[in-house]
Amino acid sequence: MAMTRKQMILAAARGEYLDKLPFVPRIDVWYNYNVANDKFPEKYKGWRQTDILRDQGAGTGQYRFWAVVREEYRDMEVIVTHDEPYIMTEYRTPLGTIAKKDVFSRYEGAWIVYEMEKLFKSEKDYPIIKYIMEHTIPVENFEAFRKVRDEVGEDGMVMTGAIGLWSAPQRVMREILGYEQFFYELADHPAEVEELLEVMKDLERRKYEVAMGCDLELFNICANWSDDIQTPVFRKYFTPWFKEVTDFLHAHGRLAMVHIDGEMRRLNPLLRETDIDVAEAVTPAPQSLVPMTEFRRELGDNMTIWGGIPSILFEPMYSDEDFDNYVKNLLKEMAPGYRFIVGMGDNLPFDGYIDRVHRVVELIDEYGTLPIEI
Amino acid sequence: MVDLSLLSKAIEEGNRDKAVQLTTEALSKGASPPDIITHGLQSGMGVVGEKFSSGEYFLPDMLMAARAMTAALEILKPLLEGTSMATMGRVVIGTVEGDMHDIGKNVVATFLKGSGFEVFDLGNNVPDKRFVEEVREKKADILGLSALLTTTMPNMGRVIKALEEAGLRSSVKVIVGGAPVTQDYANYIGADAYAHDGGRAVPVCKQLLGK
Repeated sequence: MAMTRKQMILAAARGEYLDKLPFVPRIDVWYNYNVANDKFPEKYKGWRQTDILRDQGAGTGQYRFWAVVREEYRDMEVIVTHDEPYIMTEYRTPLGTIAKKDVFSRYEGAWIVYEMEKLFKSEKDYPIIKYIMEHTIPVENFEAFRKVRDEVGEDGMVMTGAIGLWSAPQRVMREILGYEQFFYELADHPAEVEELLEVMKDLERRKYEVAMGCDLELFNICANWSDDIQTPVFRKYFTPWFKEVTDFLHAHGRLAMVHIDGEMRRLNPLLRETDIDVAEAVTPAPQSLVPMTEFRRELGDNMTIWGGIPSILFEPMYSDEDFDNYVKNLLKEMAPGYRFIVGMGDNLPFDGYIDRVHRVVELIDEYGTLPIEI
Repeated sequence: MVDLSLLSKAIEEGNRDKAVQLTTEALSKGASPPDIITHGLQSGMGVVGEKFSSGEYFLPDMLMAARAMTAALEILKPLLEGTSMATMGRVVIGTVEGDMHDIGKNVVATFLKGSGFEVFDLGNNVPDKRFVEEVREKKADILGLSALLTTTMPNMGRVIKALEEAGLRSSVKVIVGGAPVTQDYANYIGADAYAHDGGRAVPVCKQLLGK
């Protein structure tokens, strides 16, 4: 019996040999933008994202879901105020009150928020943030996950994890302090930053324990890097954490994945040192500096690469011929094609051509039988 | 002339205390503030920009260097009041509407400031109209547009069109950048230049102004 698309993804993630390249696209930026702005092509008005992808011959694709664990709080008051498009969250703790301000971006669909005002403002906030982390209780979010998984079915993959998009060190860097402040604080108050990292890791460990009650097979464990930002601290803070999480997931029969749609030239050799199973949203030149052959060489044969088609290729500035030539060349570059899932780096742009999803399906039908022979 | 190479080195190394100390010493030895800025601070930041672009330096190196430069400039600022220091050019810069990302743009602004450009940073999520107003008001030589998302990237082309409609396009050079942006895309939307990162933005901007 033929494998389902999900079975193919998981087999590729485990390094098993397939007889055809899997293709698992991601279109939620395109979909959410067109829902928010009522700009769908006539044919797809009122369609679900999964049905549009089925119509393109690409199964149900990737479907993003925040996390299989959510947070509750004890011994503090958390006040959330909505003033569209802003969300203000105030944490009233016995040690003091701190707040953050997020904004929804209609450009990326309703599920993306940006921290306009970070939780950390000054050195005096360290004990309060630690208190918040220590008094955050991870609880199951399995029912919501299963609802999404039922919609996606066996013909695609729900992309999610235990903790949202980012790992413990990435949360501290990006969400709590912000990159620039993180590096200033690391220079000025290294002990406080490292203590905060440890408290965050404890929280995330508790989340992974809860997440094991869910039958999610492939866990996103971190996302959104750039080599000029993360490289200086990667080996010290990210690598040990990734090894710990990946060991934990493997011990429970699960797989680990990271979402890497930034510049990766200097991070690829470091990423290789981890035992992560899948590098997803791999974004090569011309959208980054790194060609796919370099990704394959630097990440080695023990990591599955998922991606390869930069978003920008779906833009009107590239002709259908340019697009086809790019994909054909990509398949040749990745020969023999094992441990490779064709995907996007990282999404269909809001004005991208949806029909190019079907072009990839056709090109893989023609040229994607494994092993690919040049 | 006072030797400012050690000050330049202190900036390159991001050593704030040393930069402050050497700036104070240079002044006491009779060096002029414009010389200290050009041959000490900007010279150091120039090296940082080159090392950033070549991959030897990373964001924290740039941040520490910029912080050292800012501390040294604080000492010089009172002495510069009432004097006019020649600038490389006036740059208005911002992240386009809908886009909340600003690190790349901040890096570019820092390197441009450190290289003697006068920079007006409009922040992120900047509406087209604001770019046009600021270009007009500040008499900008260069407009820098940044976008991290493929969703917001087309807004850079929209700003260029707005400049055309306002009759300002011929008076300002437009440079674009951001993770999904490529040279091809810059050409496609009619920008004058593209830079992959902050370090590379400096020589590109100088070239745009024929310097």
